[in-house]
Amino acid sequence: MVVGMKDAAKLVSISMIAGCAVFVCTLFLNYNMDIASMKDEVTTEVGMAMYQAQVLTGKVTALVSGGCLAVTSVIMLLFYVKNYIDTHGRELGILKALGYSGLKIAKHFWVFGLSVFAGCVLGYTLAFLYMPSFYKLQNTDHLFPEIEARFHPLLAFLLIGAPAMAFSVLAIIYACLRLKCPVLDLLKEKYVYKIKVSKRATKDIPFLKNLAGSTVRERKTLAFFTAFSAFCFSAMTQMSMSMKDLSSETMAVMMITIGLLLAFITLFLSLSSVVKGNTKTIAMMRIFGYKYSDCFKAVLGGYRPFSYMGFVIGTVYQYTLLKIAVEVVFADVDNIPEYHFDLKMCAVTVVLFVLTYEMVMYGYAQRIKRLPIKSVMLE
Amino acid sequence: MIIISDVVKSYGNAGNKNQVLRGISLRIADGDFVVILGASGSGKSTLLNVISGLEPPDKGSVVYGTSDITKLSDEKLTQFRKDNIGFIFQQYYLLPNMTVEKNVRMGADLIGNREYRKMINAVGLADKAGKYPSELSGGEQQRVSVARALAKKPKALFLDEPIGALDEQTGRQVLDYICGLHKEAGFTMVMVTHNQNIAEMANTVVKMNSGKVSEVYTNKTRKNAYEIGW
Ligand SMILES: Nc1ncnc2c1ncn2[C@@H]1O[C@H](COP(=O)(O)OP(=O)(O)O)[C@@H](O)[C@H]1O
Ligand SMILES: [Mg+2]
Repeated sequence: MVVGMKDAAKLVSISMIAGCAVFVCTLFLNYNMDIASMKDEVTTEVGMAMYQAQVLTGKVTALVSGGCLAVTSVIMLLFYVKNYIDTHGRELGILKALGYSGLKIAKHFWVFGLSVFAGCVLGYTLAFLYMPSFYKLQNTDHLFPEIEARFHPLLAFLLIGAPAMAFSVLAIIYACLRLKCPVLDLLKEKYVYKIKVSKRATKDIPFLKNLAGSTVRERKTLAFFTAFSAFCFSAMTQMSMSMKDLSSETMAVMMITIGLLLAFITLFLSLSSVVKGNTKTIAMMRIFGYKYSDCFKAVLGGYRPFSYMGFVIGTVYQYTLLKIAVEVVFADVDNIPEYHFDLKMCAVTVVLFVLTYEMVMYGYAQRIKRLPIKSVMLE
Repeated sequence: MIIISDVVKSYGNAGNKNQVLRGISLRIADGDFVVILGASGSGKSTLLNVISGLEPPDKGSVVYGTSDITKLSDEKLTQFRKDNIGFIFQQYYLLPNMTVEKNVRMGADLIGNREYRKMINAVGLADKAGKYPSELSGGEQQRVSVARALAKKPKALFLDEPIGALDEQTGRQVLDYICGLHKEAGFTMVMVTHNQNIAEMANTVVKMNSGKVSEVYTNKTRKNAYEIGW
């Protein structure tokens, strides 16, 4: 009766991100493992250089995108666990009051690991389906003998079983920590505020501005997600456009797909949570006679600076990363074009970003408009 | 003057219709203290929401002075609520992540009222201004919501079972604060309750029974919050 499959099914965003991570890692790591077996058959110098470059690219790509996506899904998982406990405080509190221990309740959170499992299986399967074309792509110049994609049980375990288990355990541990509080706090859904915040509260700030600030402060993870979303958009889009020149087009398409997917998932996740978590505040403001635009600005407006900040960081990040990658990875390979910051491409991305972002925000503004005023009275 | 004519309101769809207000007509004088009295489920809250412009009726009109609020666009209606209406609910509905002072400013800022501290003092919460709602008792929370509603200087204040969740002593105290502020500021006050005794405090009493007004009368003598039975 605590958390069930239904709740786990709501974690599609984690499944998708985990799927992306596993997809990329499977492709590159499986390739690396297969290619390692024919290392001795490479005789030419060019072939050897290419071999080393590919192995290194594979490692870096798997590490960067896999690691980045894994960190995101961990943060998302923690966010979902916390969110579940916050919104179901009453039920969980009653269970605790009845004598269930925190651990006994927390154990149920293992199902959250299933979402990761589902995503990983999907990513792994898709990677295998795509693998034949990928292998051909990696060997377009026929520098190596033909190789077949082989199945590596250890890799399958590391990319499917291990993450699913790790996420289950993580969910349980985190839930246990969150539930380690007095029963009354759970029942009352008490807001615990530090004195530091109270000090700020005594300052003379107008209500709307204060609301925008405290909405963000109260849900810092969501501020992180909005920033991260813009980061992905900016970094992955620009990187893939540069990759198109530096390496293959397929990799560029893969990268931009993952980047945009990640950007939209995290943006929708965070904005939806913000609107959902503030339904009552919005309804109350509407009852008092605040305009829609004021409600919108106070509730969602606080996140805008984080988005734009994420975009800037993403631009800097992708530039630095590519600069380093070009210098290190392709150091021994000839004919690699020099990499420069592409101002025109950056400008295009900025325009695309602003358009997309503001369109999504507009969508959410419409959603706020449709919230019934009486939603405050529906307990 | 608020003139309510032939208000009809139903919930549900054609097959399963629940007529909650069955043709209500009422006149509320400016500055009056009206209590709407009726059993649970008789449609009191729905009537209050319709009169105050939170919900449109299916039929009928609600006229403030010369304007019929049932004909207003959503935007105009919002403006109308901003300029005229204050609300107090049984469950307080304070913003949990804001201090007392910030909650009161939610009302005050709307009309640029800089004297929100005065309002906090008026409900006896000067020393609690920096506290969060979860740190207050029920009675104190309701007093915050009184201050919040009155900080926007409404012309009409609507209260839906304002002391329904409070014990006797706290309830009397909150009622006393409300009545004191009503005398001082002179706004129109419409209070919904199922408590017969509270009706003795009002000037006009409207009795409701299954979606209809069954009786309207004026009290000859009025009691204060500490004189009524409980
Ligand atoms: N949003 C709604 N949807 C459907 N039915 C409702 C809704 N609000 C109220 N009702 C019904 O209207 C009737 C009167 O409700 P209400 O006005 O809240 O009565 P009271 O405040 O006198 O207790 C009840 O039968 C209730 O179930
Ligand atoms: Mg009611």
